[in-house]
Amino acid sequence: MQTFLSLRVGAIVALAATLAPPPTAAAQASTRSVPETYAITNATIVPGTGATIAQGTVVVRNGLIAAVGANVKAPADARIVDGTGLTVYPGLIDAFGSLGIPAAAPANGGRGAASFVSAPQLQPSADHPVGITPEVLAVDLIKVGDAEFNGPRSAGITTALSAPTVGFLSGRAALIDLSDESVDDAVLESPAAMAMSYGRGGRGGGIGRGGYPGSLLGVFAAFRQEMLDAQRYGQWKAMYDRNPRGTPRPPMDAGLEALQPVVNGQMPVIFEANSAREIARSLGLAKEFKLKAIIAGGAEADQVAADLKAANVPVILSLNFPQRSAAASSPDSEPELLSVLEARVNAPKVAGKLARAGVRFAFESGGLTNWADFLGNAGKSVAAGLSASDALRAMTLAPAEIFGVSQQTGSLEVGKIANLTVTRGALFEPGSKVVTVFVDGAEIVPQAPANGRGRGGMGR
Amino acid sequence: MTHSTLNATGHRAARNSALLLLFAGTFAGAQKPLPAASTTLIRNATILTVTKGTLQNADLLMEHGKIARIGTHLSAPAGATIVDGTGKYVMPGIIDPHSHSMIDAVNEGTLSVTSMVNIEDVLNPTAPAIYRELAGGVTTINVLHGSANTIGGQTITVKLKWGEPVDSMIFPGALPGIKFALGENVTRKDNPPPAGQERRYPFTRMGQEEVLRDAFTRAQNYRAEWAAYHAAVAKGAKDLVPPRRDLALDPLVQVLEGKRIVNVHSYRADEILMMVNLARDFGFHVLIQHGLEAYKIASEIAAAGDGVSTFVDSWGYKIEAEDAIPYNVAILMRHGVVVTINSDDDGRARRLNVDAAKEMRYGGLTEDEALRTITYNGAVQLGVQNRVGSLEVGKDADVAIWDADPLSVYAKVDQTYIDGEKFFDRQQDLARRDSLVALKAQLEKAPENQPPAQGRGRIVPPTTGGSK
Repeated sequence: MQTFLSLRVGAIVALAATLAPPPTAAAQASTRSVPETYAITNATIVPGTGATIAQGTVVVRNGLIAAVGANVKAPADARIVDGTGLTVYPGLIDAFGSLGIPAAAPANGGRGAASFVSAPQLQPSADHPVGITPEVLAVDLIKVGDAEFNGPRSAGITTALSAPTVGFLSGRAALIDLSDESVDDAVLESPAAMAMSYGRGGRGGGIGRGGYPGSLLGVFAAFRQEMLDAQRYGQWKAMYDRNPRGTPRPPMDAGLEALQPVVNGQMPVIFEANSAREIARSLGLAKEFKLKAIIAGGAEADQVAADLKAANVPVILSLNFPQRSAAASSPDSEPELLSVLEARVNAPKVAGKLARAGVRFAFESGGLTNWADFLGNAGKSVAAGLSASDALRAMTLAPAEIFGVSQQTGSLEVGKIANLTVTRGALFEPGSKVVTVFVDGAEIVPQAPANGRGRGGMGR
Repeated sequence: MTHSTLNATGHRAARNSALLLLFAGTFAGAQKPLPAASTTLIRNATILTVTKGTLQNADLLMEHGKIARIGTHLSAPAGATIVDGTGKYVMPGIIDPHSHSMIDAVNEGTLSVTSMVNIEDVLNPTAPAIYRELAGGVTTINVLHGSANTIGGQTITVKLKWGEPVDSMIFPGALPGIKFALGENVTRKDNPPPAGQERRYPFTRMGQEEVLRDAFTRAQNYRAEWAAYHAAVAKGAKDLVPPRRDLALDPLVQVLEGKRIVNVHSYRADEILMMVNLARDFGFHVLIQHGLEAYKIASEIAAAGDGVSTFVDSWGYKIEAEDAIPYNVAILMRHGVVVTINSDDDGRARRLNVDAAKEMRYGGLTEDEALRTITYNGAVQLGVQNRVGSLEVGKDADVAIWDADPLSVYAKVDQTYIDGEKFFDRQQDLARRDSLVALKAQLEKAPENQPPAQGRGRIVPPTTGGSK
């Protein structure tokens, strides 16, 4: 049941924004039908840095955290939210995925990338590999709004890294707040990282259907050639800038341009890698081209923890744990391998093992469809040996640090973005509920998702 | 938890077990290879040196990863493990010059020239085939991709160090390779393109030769382009835009410079002869893979100094194999060609000893000659004959202990060593089977392995009412 805080408020604001001339900050605030100042009082506050405040107040003003503490007084103009029995956490971050990006058209023999850029189909060749589109920006693809974001918000997620999904070097991800404002308002950091997924490359079985690369073999080779070309492009441009007279000018290439911060080691590359060997291969590529790597997925990251630690490469661990299908359990089906059974049992243990090994890690939803599993599976990780504070950190400050935005988000500290997750019950305890979230200082009450575990509504 | 017990037992004990076979995928990477510290003395065995005859009631000492001594009544160094070789046969680890084991991708056949791809990128150190091949006495394999296109990609020689990370499996110092393919696999005779797509050039064997000559001509030009650039830089030229690194041409330049072994998938005498001539024109040697009709041009191959790695039989399994004969190996050997047999198959790789024995029946090879085709000759073809391929003091301790003469169909491998470390032990494998069954039963009962319907009640009925 919703009361005074309608989900549709955001939509109204967005509509107003499209009708009105570009507003100043004050004018924009005045168009909102939600109060711009909140005080959540009498709540347990888990700030993400420092000790838990058993009973205190969080003040939110103009999208930022104005005050946090046990002895904070609610300002006179604030709407008071009675936090009795509730706990306030920093807004949770889903550190990798494609939230807000419409699903790619079904892959048609590996031509997805080509059809996506809607360029005339080039004859496949080593110089025009399929699936390399580093110039693509997630912000150009993301649609904000309730339809996209209610599910994750019901899991307490206020912020997400969203990456393009077509091709294997698919483009540049953005870190966005899950607000209902325009995508421009939602962006926290863009481009935040380059996305690389072995599994989305090399379609077609390697025998000619769908262009080069048609196999994992070709994905590696095409990736390498692209990095070498980007290095040379940067070198050439620098020569041209130094000496424009007498240097042939480099041909404009949006992809190689987009890769400059990657080959210079500034922008991280997120390698989607789950098996130990995929992770090892990613570390190898990162070393070969001096890339700043991040591993996403990380199902077997515990097996290569020492290597990850040595390379100081963080892992964005998927909370989409493997599940046994009904078909796999049928007496008619082939017996499953021991390794498959073991992987399911091991999944909740991986985070704790990474923590103990000193590997930096964050959590991602990993494409799970039941959003209740985001916190549910994190809770299983806690039950399997991860401390609750490390689990919280992996959804808040750790991803903020990985993406270089810990100055402005990731914990409840004055001046940081007012992204809050409010629960009844401790976050990773069974039976806890996300009651409401604040995104950029606006309260948004999530609905229970269609197949979710609980009702997200105003339990208070 | 049994799995943590597995980790606690340590690297070496664990890798000797079939447990890892079933845990494939949960192990590689993190563990560092152990220093080759084990010392093992095999006593009173029949030692098939392959190159220096057969020794009866002899001892073989493995120390610091090498074969330290071969002789009789050797004294055991302190701390050495003693293996009673009474009634056993000791032979060099088998070398398989044509393997598709432990690869996560087979072909990059989208283009006719894909020399930029490298099989090393897709090696899977947890592939069960590794362990099974150790159980067949195999220690070194030449890992190749498929044969879908004329110039496939780069290949690598690997030691089957089961349980270790990929990096420590790569045969140190071995030349890398490249694989070409000729004949009907390349013309895609049996794999027409889907409707609406063009057939990939070339359509004929003539076209395959053209692809090769064109690629090597481009490689020569590329090498010249880089040489000119380096010369200009050496003379002090500044801000000169370097040529583009071309990952497809780099390995072909290495072929031209003798730094890369060329494997050529080929069956028919005419295409093999074309290849031998083409290689001579560009100044390199080839290792003819399959070569079922090589016997027809044995003199020409011998004169060119090229090698052949073939099947011992496999007559007529496809059009190109119609003229295959079981005497191929013997004829080539009598003409002075360095010839081997290979598996091309994970299953066959476990029984290469039996294939070698067939050569004694068809062609009258001696026991040593037959063994050479699965050991020493492979080492020569892969350029590692100073390291492996025979039991000689100073060579790598890559050794298999058999319970009978390995040229008997009844022979089984007891133990397999690489660099003096034991990677397979039949007794340990048998001993662990019961505990594996118990572990699996236990895992089946874990809540994580229950299907959703019996599990966590994740189906939630739709909520009623609501404010929307």
